[in-house]
Amino acid sequence: MTEMVVAEPLWKIRLKLWIRSLRTGWELFKEKKLALFGLGVIIFFAIFGLLYPLYPVVMKNLFWKHDSFGYQTFMPYDPIVGFDPDIMSHPSPPSLRHPLGTDPLGRDILAMIMYSTPREFVLGITAALITVIIGTIIGASAAYYGGVIDTFFMRLADIVMLFPSLALLMVLSAFMELTLFRLALIMGILAGFGSITLVLKAQALTVKVRPFIDAAKSTGASDAYIIFKHIIPNILPLSFLYMMFNVTGAIFTEAVLSFLGLANIRMSWGVIIQMAESSGYLMGASIGMYWWLWLPAGVCITLLCSSFYFLGRGLEEIVNPRLRKR
Amino acid sequence: MLKFLGKRVLQIVVLLFIYVTVVYWLIEAMPGSFVDQYLLNPKLTPEIRENLKRQFGFDKPAHIRYLIYMKNFLTLDLGISFSYFPTRVTTIIAERLPRTVFLFVTSTLVSYVLGYNLGKRAAWKRSGLLDKTTTFVGIVFWTIFLPLLAIFNIWLFGVILKILPLNQFIDPNLWKSAPLSAQTIFIRLLLTALVFLIVFLIALLISNRLKTIPAKKTVLYTSSITTIVVSIVIWILSGYSTYAWDIIKHMVLPVLTLTLYSFAGSMLVMRDTMLDVIREDYITTAKAKGLPDNVVRDKHAARNALLPLVTNFVISLGFTVGGGIITETMFSWPGIGRAYLEALNTQDTPLLIGLLVFTGIFVLIAHLVADVLYAVLDPRIRY
Amino acid sequence: MLLSVRDLRMYYKTKMGYVKAVDGISFDLDQGESLGIVGESGCGKTSISMTILRLLPDNAEFKGGSVLFDMGNGPVDLVNLPESEMRKYRWRGISMIFQAAMNSLNPVYKVGDQIIEAIQNHFPDMPLDKARQKVAELFTLVGLDPSRMDQYPHQYSGGMKQRAVIAMALACDPKIIIADEPTTALDVIVQDRILKEIRKIQRKLNMAMIYISHDIAVIAEVSDKIAVMYAGKFVELADAVTIFKQPMHPYTYGLMHAFPSTVGEKTELVTIPGEPPNLLNPPKGCRFAPRCPKADSVCSEVEPEYRELEKNHFVACHHPVQPKEVVRFYAE
Ligand SMILES: Nc1ncnc2c1ncn2[C@@H]1O[C@H](COP(=O)(O)OP(=O)(O)OP(=O)(O)O)[C@@H](O)[C@H]1O
Ligand code: SF4
Ligand SMILES: [Mg+2]
Repeated sequence: MTEMVVAEPLWKIRLKLWIRSLRTGWELFKEKKLALFGLGVIIFFAIFGLLYPLYPVVMKNLFWKHDSFGYQTFMPYDPIVGFDPDIMSHPSPPSLRHPLGTDPLGRDILAMIMYSTPREFVLGITAALITVIIGTIIGASAAYYGGVIDTFFMRLADIVMLFPSLALLMVLSAFMELTLFRLALIMGILAGFGSITLVLKAQALTVKVRPFIDAAKSTGASDAYIIFKHIIPNILPLSFLYMMFNVTGAIFTEAVLSFLGLANIRMSWGVIIQMAESSGYLMGASIGMYWWLWLPAGVCITLLCSSFYFLGRGLEEIVNPRLRKR
Repeated sequence: MLKFLGKRVLQIVVLLFIYVTVVYWLIEAMPGSFVDQYLLNPKLTPEIRENLKRQFGFDKPAHIRYLIYMKNFLTLDLGISFSYFPTRVTTIIAERLPRTVFLFVTSTLVSYVLGYNLGKRAAWKRSGLLDKTTTFVGIVFWTIFLPLLAIFNIWLFGVILKILPLNQFIDPNLWKSAPLSAQTIFIRLLLTALVFLIVFLIALLISNRLKTIPAKKTVLYTSSITTIVVSIVIWILSGYSTYAWDIIKHMVLPVLTLTLYSFAGSMLVMRDTMLDVIREDYITTAKAKGLPDNVVRDKHAARNALLPLVTNFVISLGFTVGGGIITETMFSWPGIGRAYLEALNTQDTPLLIGLLVFTGIFVLIAHLVADVLYAVLDPRIRY
Repeated sequence: MLLSVRDLRMYYKTKMGYVKAVDGISFDLDQGESLGIVGESGCGKTSISMTILRLLPDNAEFKGGSVLFDMGNGPVDLVNLPESEMRKYRWRGISMIFQAAMNSLNPVYKVGDQIIEAIQNHFPDMPLDKARQKVAELFTLVGLDPSRMDQYPHQYSGGMKQRAVIAMALACDPKIIIADEPTTALDVIVQDRILKEIRKIQRKLNMAMIYISHDIAVIAEVSDKIAVMYAGKFVELADAVTIFKQPMHPYTYGLMHAFPSTVGEKTELVTIPGEPPNLLNPPKGCRFAPRCPKADSVCSEVEPEYRELEKNHFVACHHPVQPKEVVRFYAE
């Protein structure tokens, strides 16, 4: 019966500790208004994107009750092949039926934006995850092993940093069709071998000299065990933080590539703006007149990018003792 | 110092060769090529076709071509452009480089000056109004979709306010009867800017030796203003001032856009480092010495926060290059970035390689400059 | 009176509440006199000096009291001075040797220039060569080679930095120097030498000094008067001999006996058991009560008044230790 004293299994205690640290983290986080704002915007976009399937249903019930074409098919609100035949000329300015107007092909802009939203998330988070996983493992190993491995990866980072990433992606676009996933993958890998390894290695070095590493070594733990069990968990907060900044970078880069017509993505916020550009509504004499073609999408890119950045900054002020208030 | 620099230069040369090799094979591996497209033209007779192939060097296998390329590269010969045949790649770069360098240098300088000043003030009064607004505005600009910012600026200044030209490098109508080419005028403008920069730096050195703040300011301001006035007078007397003015007007918007886009990078670094430095004991000591607040902030705190700013400059170079490509595209600014996009679209491989190689050289030189700057800024660093 | 501090209070505002770091401090300091403040780490010693010089962090809140300082033209209350006026008193009136003297020098400027900066800030009309000459004299005074004034701090050893910081503190001929643990970072031999030199210089220039340390041995060596600080308050203040010969506060008594060599006949080394109280929520009544062997119900209810029990001997205790009384601190 003495075992009854330790009533709780270890994992439960771990969970409790974890929840507690999460709670104190949240207490600190709550005070960072900008980060809170960023989180709010991210949540807003997440809901906004998830609501996309509802949008055509709501619209057709509001405006297309008596129109069998629009009611039975979702055509007027299809983000890719949609077309509204009742409107004389496209692009049409915002109206009740099309809250953000239509594009030159007669598609509903709001539908396009909503449809793209989850894709932006997937792209940004996939790319950032890949970057952070690579960066963390390399940073931790380089710090732990030192020597040749360290030198190799650090010089590699030098070379990767030498390539302007946008220019490189532009070249790669000539090689292959840059679909959403490929783009995420490539961006993730490229960034993963770049400057992030330097930062994470520096952090891992401070972990490496801590006594528990020696303790683990003396008990005969394998290198991999030490790296994954001891070093990586300690640099994970920093990795997580860099993930936020990398989401920003990935979404931005995708938008620019799509805008330049170099990516092969069917629909994204960058593609929407590219559409305005290639059909001559963006610049030139009519500049500013067809704002609904590019302004909402541009604002969305900016908002989502900056909100991830705000979130990252907020986390940084918690994770990074330098920035903490006394 | 010399020994270190020598070692650094050696490292950089090695890095450059690896970089050039990677770039070469990357572009070489690009599917399809300009030559293929060109040679498929049915009007060409077989002899002409063979002739052209030989001229472009395509009769030899790829690795031989690579060796030839590297040999030529050593003599700074980057080959002949396809799309601008028979112009040399170096000629194209030489023509476009000043424009890009100017855009780049000006916007970088302005954004670092801005970032340095805002960052140090924001950190000094942490959580104050300035801190909050600059952080918010800065990050929004830092993460803004750059084409959006460009369009907004064009729309605001070009269409609504009508004070600046929309895009391009010059106004073609004005230049029809111009006695000199736009490039010549532009180079002269660059030289003027360079003279100004040199005078400014000398004034800075002199003012550093001076004791009182009013004296420092007087030296700095009078010398700057005098140089500006003198150069304006010289330009007016030369009779080319309208043309120069036209170029300057076209430059404002791209510089503004790139500056707005990038100042937050240096600002945030400056702010974060300052927050760190402010806690140092020598800052308390400086205050205890009875020094005025802004002397403590500028002379003691900000000065120590400069080093990470230099590091940030090196790291963010790639970022700025990307920003440069977008900005040049948006403003039809005929610089390196635009040439890059064109070369990509026309599959002009020699030009593409040349431009990438050049960017690499540029970045590496910046690294070297940063190394020297470290030593200048921090007496503890002695190579 | 050169400096006369009365009922000084300064709290740090934190999320959990106020940290009462300086809570009703009073003392006087005369020309040429040296006062030692001794107390455990975290009791608020540094905070006192920072409050006097008004170099407080943002979260510090001044809660009252006065700091009357007389530069020769009548006493001025430093706590009410506008910032621009206050600046004139810093370094010129009261200068400081900081706790972390090693880090008191800005790494990017030459040591000499940092001292010249202080001089020219207060004597803007002094030409550069005269200022340099002054620095050279100061360097000689503290035992540094004047040719080193054009070197950077990283080219100095720890002891040299310490001396440079002392030279810097002397630069504007201040009336008072506050030395906050001036030697903790140094090894004992250097420590001793520097302390002796500070003492010598102080006597030579007839300056007033405030020494701050947690080490009563250091304080004993250099002070005419000693104040014993505990949890944000002075608990006892008297001239050095009295403090050693006849401590009246149980805490002082405990400290004395933790330091056997000066007590002389009795060499039983006792440390005071227990921890100093949290300044966030100091106990009501006497703050020493939880650790005091003489504590009774009054002690834990009523705060003892800081009184002049004998001439120039201030004590805050309900049951002062009598001469010849033996107080035992039992380890738990
Ligand atoms: N900025 C601050 N905010 C909150 N609390 C502070 C702050 N600065 C100091 N404290 C607290 O005030 C108390 C007094 O600090 P102070 O530095 O004056 O102690 P000290 O006696 O000089 O200690 P030491 O001998 O270690 O230097 C300490 O408990 C410290 O934790
Ligand atoms: S007042 Fe009481 S508790 Fe406090 S020191 Fe004196 S005897 Fe001890
Ligand atoms: Mg202290």
